[in-house]
Amino acid sequence: MPSLIADFAKKWEKFYHVFAESGGYREVLLGLRNTLLIAVLGLLIGILIGTLIAAVKVLPRYKRVTRFFQKVCDVYVAFFRGTPMVVQLLLGYYVLFPLLGISLPVLEVCIIVFGLNSGAYVSEIMRGGIQSVDPGQMEAGRALGLSFSVTMGKVVIPQAVKNILPTLGNEFITLIKETSIVNFIGATDLCVAFRYIGTNNYEFMVPYLVMAVIYIVLVLLITWGIRTMERRMKRSDRV
Amino acid sequence: MTESETTARTPLIRIEDLQKRFGSLQVLKGITENVYEGEKIVVIGPSGGGKSTFLRCLNCMEDPDGGSIFFEGVDLADLKVDINVHREHIGMVFQSFNLFSNKTVLENIMLAPLTIGTRRLRKESLRQGLRGYRKAKKELTDRVREEAMSLLKRIGLEEKADEYPSKLSGGQKQRIAIIRALAMHPKVMLFDEPTSALDPEMVGEVLDLIRKLADAGMTMIIVTHEMGFAREIADRVFFISDGVISEQGTPDEFFNHPRQERTRDFLSKVL
Ligand SMILES: Nc1ncnc2c1ncn2[C@@H]1O[C@H](COP(=O)(O)OP(=O)(O)OP(=O)(O)O)[C@@H](O)[C@H]1O
Ligand SMILES: [Mg+2]
Repeated sequence: MPSLIADFAKKWEKFYHVFAESGGYREVLLGLRNTLLIAVLGLLIGILIGTLIAAVKVLPRYKRVTRFFQKVCDVYVAFFRGTPMVVQLLLGYYVLFPLLGISLPVLEVCIIVFGLNSGAYVSEIMRGGIQSVDPGQMEAGRALGLSFSVTMGKVVIPQAVKNILPTLGNEFITLIKETSIVNFIGATDLCVAFRYIGTNNYEFMVPYLVMAVIYIVLVLLITWGIRTMERRMKRSDRV
Repeated sequence: MTESETTARTPLIRIEDLQKRFGSLQVLKGITENVYEGEKIVVIGPSGGGKSTFLRCLNCMEDPDGGSIFFEGVDLADLKVDINVHREHIGMVFQSFNLFSNKTVLENIMLAPLTIGTRRLRKESLRQGLRGYRKAKKELTDRVREEAMSLLKRIGLEEKADEYPSKLSGGQKQRIAIIRALAMHPKVMLFDEPTSALDPEMVGEVLDLIRKLADAGMTMIIVTHEMGFAREIADRVFFISDGVISEQGTPDEFFNHPRQERTRDFLSKVL
């Protein structure tokens, strides 16, 4: 037992050396920044796309164009929910953007693909949220002469967002965790940063432990943030 | 209002052979009626008879399957009509209030006049150049707020302006729902059982407000189970059962001398 502790202490020292003195921390900060950037911007794009899809999906069905766009949305959601994210990332980087003739830095490709993917999931979450809002809210808006889209945007969606805030928080956490696959197309995230530190002296135990701790701390911070936001919103409008 | 006076004018709403189906269920089987300006119509009838459906067809909350609804000469049942424009002039009050729960009382009242007014301003300023848009927008906002506040004062709830609906009693909510509709300056008000969801002690305050509106000359169509109120306020009573207006008349005719067996049967149960 004492030897194990001594062993671990030695490993810690090695890690600390690479991390603090040989500039490993810079790699970690870069990885952390990228992880957060991909997750945050991905979620924002996802919310935009998801809200749009959800709004199209709850449109009354009697117009032909509406039904057409609803089909398009179905295909979109089916694709992004039905294929692994790694596959989407590879397709984006090696197929979609080259075919479009666009060359983007990997980080940006990651953000866009994460956004497109998240859009599919957020659309389902948002649709549930919209359907959980009392239909009387839409009726009241329409009866006053407001259009479907205005009532949706000013009355229904704000209430839907409030209802789904915890679920959106989960989506954010999922995205943070999913960023660990971006090394497939050569982007640097937290995982890559710690593997880099480990590779320096072939000592992986401590770097990967620290990495796990950072992920957990991130997730706990987000959870706490969401709780605080929820509590604030409840205060303004108790049902 | 005498018979000759009402027939001399063109009706505000002309309903012709109105039909509505839900799937295979024919709910409205052809209703033809006129509603004249200033008239107070009370709609009565057994549950499931189609009263709500009738009312909701008038502003196309339910699109009719057949027939026409002429409002100010325009057939609202025509799907090519921009229904939003006409709904501005048809106020509707729901059994369950339906105040916007993410908005304060004042915002509830201001939302529609402000949104619709702003859209008009924008259209105008596209034509006349953007100069003056900001000033006009500010004037509009001030005017709408002022009017909302004065409506709130009329019902004695001005101190609730910044509250959220969840903090109000049912009676307060319904009175605010009514003035929210009034803020659009409607030409007719539709009420679907406005007091049915209220605790008994709050029914009076809502009926008082409706009565005041009636006295001020508002045209209204009210679905209600409050027979005393119906008798007092109605110019005409429509009895809707099985998807048709099976009997109609003045409150005196209707309540004291019903002609149809079906009506007598219904009245004997509710009076
Ligand atoms: N959206 C709908 N879809 C299917 N059926 C409906 C719908 N709305 C109403 N109905 C049916 O139409 C019939 C008439 O309903 P309506 O609500 O107009 O009756 P009502 O006279 O208002 O009754 P109540 O006094 O109970 O309010 C009922 O059988 C009802 O079940
Ligand atoms: Mg009803």
